[in-house]
Amino acid sequence: MIKENCKLAIISIKANKMRAFLTMLGIIIGVCAVIAIMTVGNSMTADVKKQLEGYGVQNITIYVNPIDWEADITEADYENMRLRPEALHKLSEHFKDKISGISVEEELGAGSVVMDGKKANINITGTSAGYYKANKVKLINGNSFNEFDYSMGKNTIIVSDKFIEQLYGKEYKPENFLGKEIEININEEYLNATVVGIYHYEQAGSARGGNKNITTNAYIPLKRAWAFSHDEAFFECTVVAADGVNASELSNQIKEYLTEVMASNLGDKFMVDAYSNQSMIEENTKTMNQMTMAISMIAAIALIVGGIGVMNIMTVSITERTREIGTRKALGAPDSMIMLQFISEAIIICLIGGIIGIVLGLVLGNVAVHFMGYTPHISFASIYLSVGFSMAIGVFFGYSPAKHAANMNPIDALRYE
Amino acid sequence: MEVLMQCLMIWEQMEVSILSNDILLQARDIKKSYYVGTPNELEILHGIDLDIRKGEFVSIVGQSGSGKSTLMNILGILDRQTSGKYILDGVDISKAPNKALSSLRNKHIGFVFQTYNLIARTDAIANVEMPMLYAGISEKKRRARAIELLEMVGMGERMHHTPDELSGGQKQRVAIARAMANDPDIILADEPTGALDSKTGRLVMDIFHELHEKQGKTIVLITHSNELAAETPRIITISDGNIISEKINDKEGVA
Repeated sequence: MIKENCKLAIISIKANKMRAFLTMLGIIIGVCAVIAIMTVGNSMTADVKKQLEGYGVQNITIYVNPIDWEADITEADYENMRLRPEALHKLSEHFKDKISGISVEEELGAGSVVMDGKKANINITGTSAGYYKANKVKLINGNSFNEFDYSMGKNTIIVSDKFIEQLYGKEYKPENFLGKEIEININEEYLNATVVGIYHYEQAGSARGGNKNITTNAYIPLKRAWAFSHDEAFFECTVVAADGVNASELSNQIKEYLTEVMASNLGDKFMVDAYSNQSMIEENTKTMNQMTMAISMIAAIALIVGGIGVMNIMTVSITERTREIGTRKALGAPDSMIMLQFISEAIIICLIGGIIGIVLGLVLGNVAVHFMGYTPHISFASIYLSVGFSMAIGVFFGYSPAKHAANMNPIDALRYE
Repeated sequence: MEVLMQCLMIWEQMEVSILSNDILLQARDIKKSYYVGTPNELEILHGIDLDIRKGEFVSIVGQSGSGKSTLMNILGILDRQTSGKYILDGVDISKAPNKALSSLRNKHIGFVFQTYNLIARTDAIANVEMPMLYAGISEKKRRARAIELLEMVGMGERMHHTPDELSGGQKQRVAIARAMANDPDIILADEPTGALDSKTGRLVMDIFHELHEKQGKTIVLITHSNELAAETPRIITISDGNIISEKINDKEGVA
């Protein structure tokens, strides 16, 4: 029966190809819009998520910020509210089991190194041991700093292979650079350090081509950097939560704890903020999904308008075929069969429209994603949803005309001119 | 629906035993009114009594407005009488529920209309298959039966033509094949030659005679033409909603 009905529907659609196509157009545009938007949205979400995850899911960033940025804040206030080693020490003691490391950075800025007549620039950052847990630094030669380096603030440095290449060229083996002493000129102040480790410099995705004069990072122990800058306070640091610890939960606990510990320093002008990457990813994904949904909803209006088009055409088609319906009834078609026939027709129109829409939407979405520079990410859920939705539209908007046809009085239908 | 059909079948068997086997169609005091219960109530049929036996070829003749179409609609179960009893092949139609009417038409009645009423854009074979489709017969059997019927009416070579590729006479022949599809008890032909020229009309009438004589089909021909009615063995004349005369034709069929 279903097969017969589909055949009948296809015959009737074929008989009026142009009209069927115009009817489908609404569905095609609606489905196409939904799929394209969902493809773009999903690709963006997936990409951003991947990027954020690259920074370390367990990272929790802690800031101290003014409550009101426009409030009258003095230099002394700023000096007072900053994070200090003592507070962090208390923090790591308090959350001993939950924290695997704390990363503190002290940026000394860019410096230049001249060796054997060649010059290369590096950006000097003082780092705590936790830095290498919070950030991806891939050592290829030598070692990271040892406890002495950290506690004594020794003159040791980790540089990039790129930096060595800039000085000695591609042929030079980086390991030969280990143990060399370099002199760094930072704004006419000089810092001497022995190379203990070499890490592999990973080029950021966006930078292409000429990177000869690129400034790579070099790391020194935090204490050495503090000694250089004569400053031991900072506005922000990163806590790395231990494996298996819920970072978003921990970030709230840290915020509470630090607010309490630093109450006297913060006064009523400052506050501690702690965000976990985890929660940022979650929030971001949530926002993106909401946005995608909201825009898709607007696109879905096109689908509903398309559905009304289907209803309109079905009504016209049924009126045109009143005599046919009368004949079918005279020949013994039960009401249910007449109804099924016209609903099948509506569903098939919607389904064909839906499939064309999906193909167009995928093409459009992927082209857009390509030009926006994201990785295409096809959402199968949206495909199933669109197919289901277009069929539902067929049933919903086909029902009332089909019911009308099924309820026709056979004599009246036969006599209809 | 299934249960309903089963009930109908049992009930059908019971009624068969009561009735004389010979009588196929029995109408008693059939009245039909329109606008029932309003001041404009209009009675079209004033109490028709009619018996038709199995294998009869009957014509019902009358001027337009005489009520013959109304009577045909009732006999064809397209419409219900306002009062009176109508028993077809042992089934009391007046007692059948509305939902069962389509299946009763499907099984018992074959219609041939003046305007052919073939389904457009559907080839002859599919048109003939349609009543069998609604009867739930398998595709293979439907096809075989449709081919057989189309060959019988001389349309074997034009089975795959759609109605707009067929002449009036050819369309009517397809319609007759369609009416025969479920081997109905009775064929109701409403002015079957009304839209045809005399030559093709003759051809169509010959098919009816053949069905009657060779296959023993019961045929009711509704017409306004006395000439056409004179061809049939029994002629019932209807006027103003009453049967005014009934005669047995002594001449054998063909004029």
